[in-house]
Order: sequence, then C-alpha cells, then structure tokens
Amino acid sequence: MDHRPFEDWLLDNKDLTGTEKRELNAHLQSCHSCTALAEVNLALKSARAAAPAEGFTDRFQVRLASRKKALRLRNFWGFLILFMSAFGLLTWIGWPVIATIFQSPVNVLVSWLSSLMSTWAAIQAMVQAGQVAFKVIPGFVPEYIWVAVLFAAGGWIVLWVFSLLKITKVTRGV
Amino acid sequence: MTDEMAWIIQAQNGNDEGFTNLVETYQKPVYNLCYRMLGEAEAAEDAAQETFLKAYQNLARYDRERSFATWLLSIAAHYCIDRLRRKRFSTFSIDEDEEGQTELPDNSAPDPENEAVKKQTRERLQHCLQSLEPVDRAAVIMRYWQDCSEMEIAQALKLTIPAVKSRLHRARRALADSWEGKPARMRPERKPYGSPAF
Repeated sequence: MDHRPFEDWLLDNKDLTGTEKRELNAHLQSCHSCTALAEVNLALKSARAAAPAEGFTDRFQVRLASRKKALRLRNFWGFLILFMSAFGLLTWIGWPVIATIFQSPVNVLVSWLSSLMSTWAAIQAMVQAGQVAFKVIPGFVPEYIWVAVLFAAGGWIVLWVFSLLKITKVTRGV
Repeated sequence: MTDEMAWIIQAQNGNDEGFTNLVETYQKPVYNLCYRMLGEAEAAEDAAQETFLKAYQNLARYDRERSFATWLLSIAAHYCIDRLRRKRFSTFSIDEDEEGQTELPDNSAPDPENEAVKKQTRERLQHCLQSLEPVDRAAVIMRYWQDCSEMEIAQALKLTIPAVKSRLHRARRALADSWEGKPARMRPERKPYGSPAF
C-alpha cells in the first residue's frame, strides 16, 4: 500500500487542511501502519512525566555527603601511600649513606667538616682572584663593549620579568 | 538575574544550598528522562542521583550562556546511554508505574474504565520505547516529555539538527512498528555526525 503523503504528514506533524484531514482519515480506515503511527503520535503528545519518590533531594544530600567522605578518605590513603612509597624509595637509595652514618658517626662528621672547610677555602680563593681580575680586566676592554654588555643584561632582565608575570598571571572567576 | 542563575552562581561559589535548590527544581525532568530511558524506577532513581552528582562535580565547567536544563538533561541522557550500552538491560516491568508501585485502575475516578485504558496506553508506549536504540530514545524523550527544541536536543546529544530530525522520524516509525506488534527493525547505529542520507 502506498503510504505517501500520509506517512510524511504524520511524521512531520503537518497542520492539515479540511480536505487533507478527510483524506488522511479515509486512509487510516484501511492502513494499519499509518494508524499505528497516528496512535503513537497521540500517545506521545499525551505522555505523562514520571516523578521520583518523595525525599529525592534529601537522598541526594546523603549521597553527596557519602561521596565527599569517600573522596576525602581516598585522598588521605592516596597521600599516605605516596608518602610511604617516596619515603621507602629515598631510604632504599640513600641506604649506603645512612648505614655509614649509623656505623661511624664521628668519621662522617669529620669528613663533612673537612669538605666544608675546603669549600670555604675554594670560595675565598675565587673571591681574591675575582678582585684581581676586576682591577686588571677593565683596562683591556673598550668602553663600547661594556655598554653593549649592560644593554644586553638589561634586556634579558626585562624579558625575564615579563615572562614570569605572564606565566604566573591568575585568571579570575571559577 | 533569575533565581536559577543566582542558584547556579551560588553553587559555583561552593554554596551547597544553591545546588540543593537546583536539585529541587530539576529532579522531575531528570528523573523522568532516566525512567523513560531505563524503564525501571530503581535504576532511574540511581541514574538521576548520579546525574546530579556529575553536575555538582562539573559545575565549574558549566557555560552560563547555555541553558542549564539542557546541560543537565545532556548529562542524564549520556549517563543513561552509557549505562544501556554497558549493561544492555532493557526489560521493562509492566507491573511498575512511574512511582515504582503497581498502578491499579482508580475505581473512585469519574471514569475508571477510561483511566485503565490510559494506563494501558502509557505502559504500551513505555514498552515500545524500550525497542528504540538509546540515542533515538533519548531524542524522543527530550522532544515529547521535556518539550525540547531540535536545537536543544542536538546540543544535548552532540548531534547535528538534521541528524536529530532524521532520528526522530526513524524513531517514531520504529515506535509505530512496535506499537503494531511488528518486530523492531535492526539498523546499524549511526555515528553522531553521520549523514542521514547514508
């Protein structure tokens, strides 16, 4: 059976003229397929919305509280596991040093002090060498080189400050 | 500023009372969508609750230029579609009505026979809905129960407007077939932006 144009009218919810309505009704008398479509249209248009049982919001609040608690608990255990893992890893990596400390604390202390003293002596030597160089080198370097160096350093600092400001800019709102 | 927008802003600023007001306002449309999608009162309650939880968690991402109802229904529809795809449980118990209890004809009503017929029609329609593929079902529910426009459905289901029109046509034809008692025509599921011509 030819369902056109009746099926299209029904599917498009077309506003029908009097003649079209009569033609459609005549077609519906003999066509089960289009009758089903018309009945479904009617059922859909008169469909009733389902409502939840009383106390939906209260149940939601209980669920939300429980979910928040579970999240807090998960975060706590996550942090604890992460902390313990990091602690365990650091202990494992640093065990040779830790073992030395426990075996002979005086030797470790003496070697640390000696390293500290030698570092201090090296720094003092570098400072003295720097002072000498500072007095001698300016005589050999032309003035325009110093100007160029100062401009380059100034530009570098400005670029650095702007980059930092841009990177750390806080966006407003949520 | 509308009450709804004030509640949304409150909720986005961390005020739970604002969100509670939104739950009060939208519980019925969200529950109805879930119930029509899943066909079971208990599953619908769970899905509606999860929808509001997801909305609560993602509220900061909500774009205030869009309709809140459409955004919420979109979350509900996608949750139900995922759930249906995962579990493929589409059996609807005709013993349950919208409140999850047995609905008997109301003999005290002015026309109990008419009430019984209406109830039977509702059950038959719900049964037919279960024969639709999840996305088509969501489109039909949003169109006829939530009174959403084709554009709102397209936004909510991430479809194009022609695809929504095509799906609505196809779904109503399938509903009519099911209404007649014909077996549902198995069609491959279309991709969201697939042209209806192919």
